[in-house]
Amino acid sequence: MSEHIVKSYDEDLMELSRKIAEMGGLTETMLAIAIKALVRGDTDLAQRVIETDVRLDVLEKDIEEKAILTIAKRQPLAVDLRMIVSSIRLAADLERIGDLSKNIAKRVVAINGQFAPQKIVSGVVHMSDLALDRMKRIIDAYIQRDVQAALDVWNHDEEIDHLYNSLFRELLTYMMEDPRNIGFCAHLLFCAKNIERIGDHATNIAETIHYLVTGKSILADRPRTEGAYKPLDPEDHI
Amino acid sequence: MSTFTPPRFYNSRKRTNFMAMAACYGATLFGLTWLVLILMTLVVNGLPGISLALFTEMTPPPNAQGGGLANAIVGSLMLTVMGVGIGAPIGLLAGTYMAEYGRHSQLTSVIRFINDILLSAPSIIIGLFVYGAVVVPMGKFSGYAGALALAVIVIPVVVRTTEDMLLLVPNPLREAASALGLPRSLVIRRVAYRAARAGLMTGLLLAIARVSGETAPLLFTVLNNQFWNVDMATSVANLPVTINNFINNPDPNWKQLAWAGALLITFTVLSLNIIARVVGSARNEK
Amino acid sequence: MTTTHQDPSTSASVSGQARPETISVKNLRFYYGDTLALKTISLPLYTNEVTAFIGPSGCGKSTLLRVLNRMYDLYPGQRAEGEVIFEGRNILNKNEDLNLLRSRIGMVFQKPTPFPMTIYDNIAFGIRLYENLSKAELDERIESALMKAALWNEVKDKLNANGLSLSGGQQQRLCIARSVAIGPEVILFDEPCSALDPISTAKIEELIDELKSDYTIAIVTHNMQQAARVSEYTAFMYLGELVEFGQTAQMFTSPQDQRTQDYITGRFG
Repeated sequence: MSEHIVKSYDEDLMELSRKIAEMGGLTETMLAIAIKALVRGDTDLAQRVIETDVRLDVLEKDIEEKAILTIAKRQPLAVDLRMIVSSIRLAADLERIGDLSKNIAKRVVAINGQFAPQKIVSGVVHMSDLALDRMKRIIDAYIQRDVQAALDVWNHDEEIDHLYNSLFRELLTYMMEDPRNIGFCAHLLFCAKNIERIGDHATNIAETIHYLVTGKSILADRPRTEGAYKPLDPEDHI
Repeated sequence: MSTFTPPRFYNSRKRTNFMAMAACYGATLFGLTWLVLILMTLVVNGLPGISLALFTEMTPPPNAQGGGLANAIVGSLMLTVMGVGIGAPIGLLAGTYMAEYGRHSQLTSVIRFINDILLSAPSIIIGLFVYGAVVVPMGKFSGYAGALALAVIVIPVVVRTTEDMLLLVPNPLREAASALGLPRSLVIRRVAYRAARAGLMTGLLLAIARVSGETAPLLFTVLNNQFWNVDMATSVANLPVTINNFINNPDPNWKQLAWAGALLITFTVLSLNIIARVVGSARNEK
Repeated sequence: MTTTHQDPSTSASVSGQARPETISVKNLRFYYGDTLALKTISLPLYTNEVTAFIGPSGCGKSTLLRVLNRMYDLYPGQRAEGEVIFEGRNILNKNEDLNLLRSRIGMVFQKPTPFPMTIYDNIAFGIRLYENLSKAELDERIESALMKAALWNEVKDKLNANGLSLSGGQQQRLCIARSVAIGPEVILFDEPCSALDPISTAKIEELIDELKSDYTIAIVTHNMQQAARVSEYTAFMYLGELVEFGQTAQMFTSPQDQRTQDYITGRFG
């Protein structure tokens, strides 16, 4: 893309891009560390995730302010307008992803010391691996402005959903076997749900990237799997 | 706080500026001096001659007392009115052609060039021309010939001012009028003339001022007349030639009348010029 | 080079069928002497819609506008080829009655151009050319024209004041009233706000918005945001070509042509 006649305009847009990328990197790290903390039962690590979220919130505020100021100053049009609007949307999605990772970290602190069936935890880890992969790919797609890569992520949301559904059934079984497992399992269930939601946000980001690059929204309805258990969808963090 | 020190050449620039200003003022003063001297001489010599009789009595015979310039004043008025009456419409139409219809044509440049020559042609040449073209064939001097000579002087002045003033009318105004569906003739008459009205009036006044003092063209065309005569087909009295005749005569009464007439013409021309300026600047204040 | 016309399925999606066109420009070529200034332009002016012409200086947008009411005929050496269809005929024809045409296609200029006469006469002037009205009818027409131009309340007590005594914005609205008064079908605006302050500009834009229910409007503007605000359709022109024509909403969020994109986002060299 050629440069603007007004150079500081390019700098404004570049700063937005850079901050989005920084948020992307931070959220990836937060999820990875939160899961590591969950596997190891390491509350110190979990505490670090909770602290990192502060930085994320600051970044989101920065992006929002910068975007609003740029709109006011430059009256952006076409690709620039889409870029700025997308920044606001992306920042919101990334901030939510951060919150969800933080929520996992808080649960690690809450279930501290309780019995952890390795099989179930490894299910959650597997989910998070998938989610991390999606996030990495979607943030790369954003940096490269690569619609195809974004569409790829967008089309493959159901893997995580499937994993979540089977994990959900497994956890129910555990809880029914022994009521003492319920507290712990419930926490794990919410962690899994958080990861599933992170996957959804990655899908949102894919849609935003598609709009940013092409100027059109993805028209077709996203492929949905029937078993995504809706009633378990309340405001589930904290 | 440090004080700003101007560079070395700043002072020399100030000196140059001062000297240039002084030269300008000096030149202006030089020019104005003569004007004031002329006006003073006129007033000093002419004012004693200004009386009611000047406007009511005929030019006196030589070596008589009293008398006035009534016949010359009326004759001059008639000549001027007729000359401007013939010249102004022709000049206006020609100027309109040049500014409106023929703005981009070759003919316009040619007309403008010739018009500029005519504008600066010595008026005695014009007098001689009319003498050859009208007086000789008719076999006598006449008011008509005089008016014609004045008209020839009026035309280039009016052509010039008309064209200039119409060119000053912004083009978008014409386009706006055309965009309403106005035919060209109406655009010119109702919009362009109206917008240039003050300028056109100025041109007309300047033309009148120019011809009312002309002597040379009249010498060869109307000559002069010592008596009351309003028949334009024959010689009529007129101020410039009367002044010319009277001032060259040793008769002190005539000399006095000549000075009074000169004062009269000069102040008429001066006031016409001033009125033209006022009208012109009134336009700019819009 | 080809013009990017937006996918017809989106541009005509409102009605599902072809929209009525008040003016259809077809294969228009325009020459200043030997210079080709418009290179085969084709585009519609949709009825009761605002169409904006944008593009860098010298791209031919004003030229195009001045073809639509044959304004170029005032100057020698300018000629147009192709077709401009209005009310069923090609107005580029030699025998077109230009005065009548211009009473049907009004124009408002960059700088306000009130005539040097009273506010009342400024408007009455054009009406009297084509209609013989009684004083009362004329008064009524003038009031309604001034109302339509949102100027009535400001001038109703000084209709006999000189048109030049108004402010720039008021003068421009007077010019609009003058155009409206003779009941045209189309009004062409040639950068109507470029000499006005933001408030006056807003008033003119509001006015254009109201006028479009009665007239078909074309506007040339250098202000991209203005084009985005007032128009339904936008034509982007560059170097005498129509690069892209389409719905304004799409032109300003996701233009199809790279040159349009570069121009409207301020990347042009």
